[in-house]
Amino acid sequence: MINELKDPRKTFGEAVLEAAGSNHNIVVLSADSSSGSGLADFLKKFPERHFEFGIMEQGVIGFASGLATTGKIPVFAAIAPFVTARPFEMFRNDLGYMNQNVKVVGRCAGLTYDQLGSTHHSIDDIAIIRTIPGVTVINPGDPVTIKKAVHAMIDHVGPCYMKIGNLKMPVLYPEDVNFRLGKGIVMKDGHDVALIGTGTVLSKAVGAARLLEQEGVSVRLIDIHTIKPLDRELILSTAKEIGKIVTVEEHFIAGGLGSAIAEICSQECPVKMKMIGIGDHYASNGPYEELLGKYGLQPDQIKETIIKFLKNK
Amino acid sequence: MNSKEILKLEYTALKIRRNILRLIRAGEAGHVGGALSSVEIVTALYFNLLNVDPSNPKWPQRDRFVLSAGHKCLVLYAALAERGFFNVSILDTYGALDSPIPGHPNMHKLPGIETNTGALGHGLSIAGGMALGLRMDKSQSRVYVLMGDGELAEGSNWEAASAASMHKLENLIVFVDRNKLQISGPTIEVMSYEPLDERWRSFGWSVRIIDGHNLESIISNVKQAPFEKGKPSVIIADTLKSKGLSFAEGKVSYHYWKAKPEEMEQAELDLDNIEKQLKAKMERIGL
Repeated sequence: MINELKDPRKTFGEAVLEAAGSNHNIVVLSADSSSGSGLADFLKKFPERHFEFGIMEQGVIGFASGLATTGKIPVFAAIAPFVTARPFEMFRNDLGYMNQNVKVVGRCAGLTYDQLGSTHHSIDDIAIIRTIPGVTVINPGDPVTIKKAVHAMIDHVGPCYMKIGNLKMPVLYPEDVNFRLGKGIVMKDGHDVALIGTGTVLSKAVGAARLLEQEGVSVRLIDIHTIKPLDRELILSTAKEIGKIVTVEEHFIAGGLGSAIAEICSQECPVKMKMIGIGDHYASNGPYEELLGKYGLQPDQIKETIIKFLKNK
Repeated sequence: MNSKEILKLEYTALKIRRNILRLIRAGEAGHVGGALSSVEIVTALYFNLLNVDPSNPKWPQRDRFVLSAGHKCLVLYAALAERGFFNVSILDTYGALDSPIPGHPNMHKLPGIETNTGALGHGLSIAGGMALGLRMDKSQSRVYVLMGDGELAEGSNWEAASAASMHKLENLIVFVDRNKLQISGPTIEVMSYEPLDERWRSFGWSVRIIDGHNLESIISNVKQAPFEKGKPSVIIADTLKSKGLSFAEGKVSYHYWKAKPEEMEQAELDLDNIEKQLKAKMERIGL
């Protein structure tokens, strides 16, 4: 039901369990992390396909690579920075360079581990993982698309990184939404500005679009759930048709969704852009909604930023 | 194994050393020290122990060989070519633009290469995953790993060692090529791993120490693996770095060799001498 709040980790775990029922190659690897990743039921139902490793994320990525060489589809979920920044070289060499069919899921991503501080925030994962050739990077923005993304990444042959949050998030889509990897979703059409959101703050972009419409600003609202491969066609047509793009992400401005879009637009269709995200500093700690407010990621703040952006000719 | 079979394998080891020289001649330089110290291990694997089929390199029932110390790739290329995985003439492309045999192996470029290694401390965990997957499939295949001793300073190896023993991967057999030298000097002075056998044992592995240049010993020990039920096996193979080249043996400066012409000449003479000795032995036993 639209706007119903759902737990992203639980949703993720249910989707993996569902996929594993029909796909017997799916195995789950845990770095002392399955229970916190919504995968406790997988362990109960498929104990012979669940492998515990303890807290050794580098080792798990290597084991996942080796398992994939035998046709298994390893799913490895743990706290986002510990499956991306920490084992980056293993991700790059053992999964990317070896092109292994492994699904790495960073949970409690972005700032959703709010008060645990910068060691536990993951606001650089998109930047670093999207540098690895051949890795699909997925950042779904609601429970419905998390579920669809799990099935899509299992069906996709190749290394994937998916990030999800921690706190309950609102349903934004009907169950029958058309979700395809690499294809953005136009949530609402408009002509004054393109507002492009991703992941945990997609709902904030939705809220901002609603506020902007109330003030007479026509917004094309786009969900880019797949950061890589990026939907070039949609980005370029939007740049051409609207000419003004604002990106919203719970990530460093450096290297994130806005950067990825700018890499295309700056070369093929330069347009005015505004990137809303976190600057070149470690994020602070505190209650999640207040943290988002500190970085201008609440709907009213996004709205204000966009109004200023539109006035600044 | 009888002495004829051993002698034939020794001759194959010589051919692999010749292939390594061929690679160095093409590329003018390479990580020769650790390639030459592990020639007998790799010869024993590819010409006796490994169940592989060069005409069907992806055969699911094959044994796997993971070269964790990817910089030893010269010995892998030399052996794969000799075993018929690809044409020996490919060795002459070493060092050239887009060569299928880079300075660290790339599985996408040639048949027979199981993993992309080069960054140290990756191979053991990948091999562990292979062993786990094969066991799930109830396969009889084994996974062999060749590690360097300098490589053992990488902490990721010990993550993998813990996991392999915790998951009781008795289809996993590791060789440590203990040539005792790394690029900066003697390994125990750079970062000591001793007592190495006790270290592996404490991680739950079954350990043997052998002469890594003795083909018979390598083969007979591997055939006894797993050495203990429910444990992965490690063979610490004591070797001589740059084995076979008189001017380079046991010298740290030949970890990476930029071959001078006079050295190349001497290297050829050294291998010619080994060949003469082997041929004399072969004649004596009617080979």
